[in-house]
Amino acid sequence: MRSGFTWQRLTPLALLVVTITITMTSSAARADTLEDVRKRGFLRCGLIEGSPGYSTLNDKGERIGFDIDHCKTISAAVFGKVSIEYVPITPNTVFTLLQSGGIDIFPGGATWSFTRDTTMGLDFTGVYMWAGQGFVVHKSTAVTRVAELDGATICVAQGTTLEQNLADYFDANNLRYTAITFADIDKGLQAYRADRCDAFTNERVSTAGRISVWPDRDEHLILDEVISKEPMAALVRQGDARWRDIALWSFNARIAAEELGINQANVARMRAESANQEVRRLLGVQGNFGEKLGLSNDWAYDIIRIVGNSEDMWNRHFAPLGVSRGLNRTWRDGGLMSALPFR
Amino acid sequence: MRRTWIYQGLLVAAIVAVLALIVSATNANLARLGVETSMDFLWRRAGFTISQSLIPFDANSTIARAFVVALLNTLVLAAASIVGASLLGLVVGTARLSRNWLVSRLATAYVELFRNIPSLLQIFFWYLVVLRSLPGFRDSLSLGEAVRLNNRGLYLAAPDIVGAGGWIAGGLLVAIGTIIGLSRWARQRRLASGRAFPVTLTAVGLLIGVPWLAALIGGAQLGWDIPQAGRFGFEGGLVVMPEFMALVAGLSVYNATYIGEIVRSGFAAIPRGQIEAADALGLSRWLSFRLVLFPQALRVIIPPLTTVYLNLFKATSLAAAIAYPEIVSVFVGTVNNLVGQPVIIMGITLIIYVLVSLAIALFMNWYNRRIALSRA
Repeated sequence: MRSGFTWQRLTPLALLVVTITITMTSSAARADTLEDVRKRGFLRCGLIEGSPGYSTLNDKGERIGFDIDHCKTISAAVFGKVSIEYVPITPNTVFTLLQSGGIDIFPGGATWSFTRDTTMGLDFTGVYMWAGQGFVVHKSTAVTRVAELDGATICVAQGTTLEQNLADYFDANNLRYTAITFADIDKGLQAYRADRCDAFTNERVSTAGRISVWPDRDEHLILDEVISKEPMAALVRQGDARWRDIALWSFNARIAAEELGINQANVARMRAESANQEVRRLLGVQGNFGEKLGLSNDWAYDIIRIVGNSEDMWNRHFAPLGVSRGLNRTWRDGGLMSALPFR
Repeated sequence: MRRTWIYQGLLVAAIVAVLALIVSATNANLARLGVETSMDFLWRRAGFTISQSLIPFDANSTIARAFVVALLNTLVLAAASIVGASLLGLVVGTARLSRNWLVSRLATAYVELFRNIPSLLQIFFWYLVVLRSLPGFRDSLSLGEAVRLNNRGLYLAAPDIVGAGGWIAGGLLVAIGTIIGLSRWARQRRLASGRAFPVTLTAVGLLIGVPWLAALIGGAQLGWDIPQAGRFGFEGGLVVMPEFMALVAGLSVYNATYIGEIVRSGFAAIPRGQIEAADALGLSRWLSFRLVLFPQALRVIIPPLTTVYLNLFKATSLAAAIAYPEIVSVFVGTVNNLVGQPVIIMGITLIIYVLVSLAIALFMNWYNRRIALSRA
């Protein structure tokens, strides 16, 4: 019941408010997001809450997770410290909030697709994770492969490409199904748990995270297969090239750090001692890469110091859920993650 | 006189100017943000499926068709809930007036309890009740092979008619025409001779019998589409989704409290002399209710009832909370996420709600005028 009962009613209302905001806001007000964020003194980061691994609270009530680290990455690059206002949102409101300037960045859960990139007035900032849509089933159904779901009822959430992937895959493989479409992931998962559906489909890693806290976890099986390749990228508003560059190169710095052998534990030593020219450029010892983004030269150093590299993030958030890194290893280890060069 | 006209003209001009400004500013800002504002998306392939559709729909249908499917789902839900709430409300309203202490107190308790819980919570409650109380597929409750009930829905055998569509439609028209003529004739005969004729029963017989005969003559193949057990559940037949059941229950139970109070006030408004006059005529209790009390109560009931119906219609949008594919869920949810044009999509949805609400209000006002005391 994390998301409460009221947001369902608020979604249309929020859309309307945003519509009016779009109507009324003058074009000059948000031309330079970096300036706005600096003046404000904190970053507004959009979050989908209550998703173990991605965004949740620890024992002390602090926000932790993969998505939280993305927010911290941008905050570290801009301020050299964590200065963030987290704005809880639902998948339905992401696009409208970004378009209207209610949030500066949405780091979590958006698949980079052609239609989204070309028609929605939003920019993607580089793939930070390769996810995939998978299924969780009741073990009592004895299903072990997706092909065996012919004729099944499947719970799914709106707000992403999930519904379409499901339709495309089942259509292509001549499988029949009934989709029960929920407005948010938790309601869909609850209904699946109450046996409304034979399977629930969502991104595999996040599903693993969500069901990891169930007492009856052992009665559910996460199928090995994925039916889609979901390149996840953070979203910013279109039309602010510098802000987009900051987000893209901040995320990229973490992958570059992993490739260069820099991590959260050794970053201070690497800055002091490394003779590798790319390391020196990245960490601001040499050149003025930070200034070219409108940031301080310590921007990447601060990111690694505060958040760590991409491996640190995976080990901190997903490894404890028992999710293997797979495609998200660097290209040297057979994965798809590959840094753009700092030169 | 002339001055008021000038002021009114200025006011209208000001309103038009403000609206024009909002429209042009919205368009300009949307264009600047790179958001499409055309309605071409309606003719795109939908690419998603809908769990309940009254007309054929699949992922290859257009988004416009998805819109129609969702609108029909909204209307079906509203219609079923209005019927449910009205019947329940009539029972509750009359029960509150009952001379039986227990019956009237139970009705009062019902009203006070369900009127004071938000309707969204009631819908969640009924959804939980429906899902948790119904058995799984393998332990389905059955009534022969024709009726199956489990936590995936109510599965009913559906008439499966192939061919002779024209004959059946013709038969239906003939039946309706006959019923209209028959009811006129019966009314005239009753006014002239006082002899009654069972019109309702005959009408039901005609509505079923004539199209059926026409289908036989036209050579249609009549059969039943009986739900068959598959690996995961029953397939085929007519399915009533658990979400639909929960919503009709939730919306009916909640709105029946208001309708009950309206019905009670309607009957309370009838002068005592009318009841005594009906008794003096020797009318039975049922006839006195049907011919004297109910028609008079109805005149008081209809105007506030219109408000309840309108509220109920708008409350069907709560269905989006539990995965019933009505217009907010399908259009403002799925389609908006697909095409990302919130301004247009919200606009279309708002207009649809306004239009249907106006249609309900128009119908209720027409009915109100029809049953009002004529002053001629």
